[in-house]
Amino acid sequence: MKTNRKRVVRLVIFMLIVAMIAGCSGKSSGAEEPAGEKGKEGTDVAVGGDPEYPEQLTYWVSLNANASATMQDMNGIAAYQELEKTTGTKVKFQHPPAGQEADAFNIMVSSGNLPDVVEHGWANVSGGPDKAISDGSIIRLNELIEEHAPNLTKVLNEHPEYKKLITTDGGNIYVFPFIRGDEYLLTFNGLIIRKDWLDQLQLPVPETIDEWYEVLKAIKTKDPNGNGQADEIPLLLDMDMTGINHAFVGAWGVTTGFYQVDGKVQYGPIQPEFKSYLETMSKWYAEGLIDQDYAATDGTLKDAKVTNNQVGAFSGYMGSSLGRYSELMIKSNPDVELVGAPNVVLNKGDKPVLGQKDSPFNGFGAAVTKANKFPAETVKWLDYKYGDEGHMLFNFGVEGVSYEMKDGYPTYTDEVMKNPDGLSITQAMSKYNLASYSGPFVQDRRYIEQYSALPQQKAAIETWMNAENDRLMPIISPTAEESTRYASIMNDINTYYEEMVNKFIMGVEPISGFDQFVQTVQGMGIEEALQIQQAALDRFNSR
Amino acid sequence: MQLKEETNHVTIQSKPERFSARAAKDFRRNSTIYLMLLPVVAFYAVFHYGPLYGLQIAFKNFSAGLGIWNSPWVGFQHFSEFFNGFFFERVVTNTIILGAYDLIFVFPASIVLALMLNEVRHRIFKRTVQSITYIPHFISVVVVVGMLVDFLSVDGLINHIITYFGGKPISFMRLPEWFRTIYTSSAIWQGVGWGSIIYLAAISNIDPSLYEAAKVDGAGRWKQMLQITLPGILPTVIILLILRIGSFMALQDEKILIMYNPVTYETADVIGTYVYRKGILEASYSFSAAVGMFNSMINFMLLIGANYLSKRFTDTKLW
Repeated sequence: MKTNRKRVVRLVIFMLIVAMIAGCSGKSSGAEEPAGEKGKEGTDVAVGGDPEYPEQLTYWVSLNANASATMQDMNGIAAYQELEKTTGTKVKFQHPPAGQEADAFNIMVSSGNLPDVVEHGWANVSGGPDKAISDGSIIRLNELIEEHAPNLTKVLNEHPEYKKLITTDGGNIYVFPFIRGDEYLLTFNGLIIRKDWLDQLQLPVPETIDEWYEVLKAIKTKDPNGNGQADEIPLLLDMDMTGINHAFVGAWGVTTGFYQVDGKVQYGPIQPEFKSYLETMSKWYAEGLIDQDYAATDGTLKDAKVTNNQVGAFSGYMGSSLGRYSELMIKSNPDVELVGAPNVVLNKGDKPVLGQKDSPFNGFGAAVTKANKFPAETVKWLDYKYGDEGHMLFNFGVEGVSYEMKDGYPTYTDEVMKNPDGLSITQAMSKYNLASYSGPFVQDRRYIEQYSALPQQKAAIETWMNAENDRLMPIISPTAEESTRYASIMNDINTYYEEMVNKFIMGVEPISGFDQFVQTVQGMGIEEALQIQQAALDRFNSR
Repeated sequence: MQLKEETNHVTIQSKPERFSARAAKDFRRNSTIYLMLLPVVAFYAVFHYGPLYGLQIAFKNFSAGLGIWNSPWVGFQHFSEFFNGFFFERVVTNTIILGAYDLIFVFPASIVLALMLNEVRHRIFKRTVQSITYIPHFISVVVVVGMLVDFLSVDGLINHIITYFGGKPISFMRLPEWFRTIYTSSAIWQGVGWGSIIYLAAISNIDPSLYEAAKVDGAGRWKQMLQITLPGILPTVIILLILRIGSFMALQDEKILIMYNPVTYETADVIGTYVYRKGILEASYSFSAAVGMFNSMINFMLLIGANYLSKRFTDTKLW
């Protein structure tokens, strides 16, 4: 009996100690185990000249909603399966929860538990890519790309403008970039309006602020959805998208954030023009032309309102809004016609100053982390997508399955365009390639030519592309110190801005309070933020 | 019996054992119980005391690459940045007001429900009410807020009722002045039934003979409740109150986070949500650690204070 008890006591103490140790070292053990194992093979190979492809990789990337409809992780994409056949590299994907990518990314980086490759939008990462390199989370790739990435090197040599974009002020290249390889791919978001309602009301597609007012008023009062109730929402305002496509606010030549006029950085919300914008929006809101609940409207609610035949005009993407809503609504109502509306101007006949135009490189790409024990091999693996085979694979998928070559033109098959399982084009496409999303490769123009299957979509892109856009900021890279300071200032200003801009529009705060608003923003340090942006822009221009 | 007790008493007095010896003896005798305690101790050590080590980043400029230990010290910089920040007053005020609403409205609601249920004599009715009131406790916050948004939007249920009776629709979720009401009343709805369980248990512990005696003395039901039931559960109420005060500033941040929008920041933005935006979204971990620490310190002091006052004025205390 006694010895038994002693044993129990010893067991208790032993377990306690084990529990403590396990608890303390839990963080680091997970990261090191697999890396160490692979590391050996990696270094062995790296010694002798050109490296082999790595045996396996851990790869962090968010999983697009269109892809997650049909698969658990990106190994379900045919392009990645083919890549594995060619290179022999087994990829273990890690996907953050949808909608929480930024949180998950920050937590992953601060925990120090990094995979081999991280594909992410690096432009908005706190501290910027240079800081991520100096902190030791990701590595500088310049030399590795020169040595082991002939395909990307070729692309960069042919397009020095890409090289300028992907190099930071510190001279670092930190990603295998996602590059939109054609002007035509840079514009994909703008105002969308119900053409069938306009026809019914005998009004043309509006171009100026005044015309918009007339159209919205008519939608509000003349019951274009014909259900006998005045339940139409003429305009569904979306402040987040306004930041992208500058709908309405762009008519006054300003944006909701930073922009440049002849190389001089300005902050839109404190300009006198912004006051005119707010006055107009607030008037429209008061007259019921703008959705009364717009500030509390998320994607799901927007879907419901639009497809419920209630909304006259809204901002949206060429594919996920214009294309998807058309598909959804035409089933029950063949008359529905959504078209892209031009960027709004003040005076008839003017060319819009601002619209939506993305940079060929917007900070998105795959970076190699410090935890990666065989960077040279990884670089070689990543480089495959920039070669001819990789390019076709990731833009069009598998030849004979998702596309056929017709007169030298890669044409998507019916498997993609009219999916037999009833998948939408984007969903079907996501099973085979990354073209409709993003990733470390060069996007092909021929993808969008087919993806925008509806004539309205093609027309919308042409319409939206028609803007000067020279006031847009390029992707700049503030230094680590600058961006910490900048983030600290702008976090408070953004909170205050979001709150006040909605209050002005909703009439909770009278427009006469605008001067006070400007003063407060200045008191919060906007000048310093402007200087940081200016310095970064100057450095960018002199690259 | 008595004899045995006495001899025992004598041995202890005559030969006092050292603490270590007594502990060892106790350990041997109750080893199974200690074994059962083990997971609890381990849990607290790993998840509650372990992370205290990381608290030092509140005084450092944490950088992921350097790690907790090697990040440079900056003293009270983050604290002063918070105290001098533009939104300091607002987030602290909002936190305090919502905390106070919680104490004033949400906390007593369960007591009232328990007292009312105690008066219900119809068993099936009582059970039904109980089940219905504690079901909301099991609904996830995300779903609760989703329901709120659906009910309270301009063309939601509540506004249908308002317009049916000729009123003007109110866009509840975008009016700052409604936020506190919605937050607090939905908190009552979520927690009232669940919270009442412990009071019902306390009530069932009250000696029935007290009620009989009171009836003999001519006390009605109202008097019985005031003179017997209420004093009977008072110690439970006080203990729970002290605990609640100790988490005064720890609101349901995640609920606020999904409920609020920029227009309602004015009344909805609290320390927890501010820290989330600043810390997680902007990755300023040091700053949010400092603010979180400030918050915990206040809770800690409130807890000590509440316990002290309770010790002083009633017989009930936590320690």
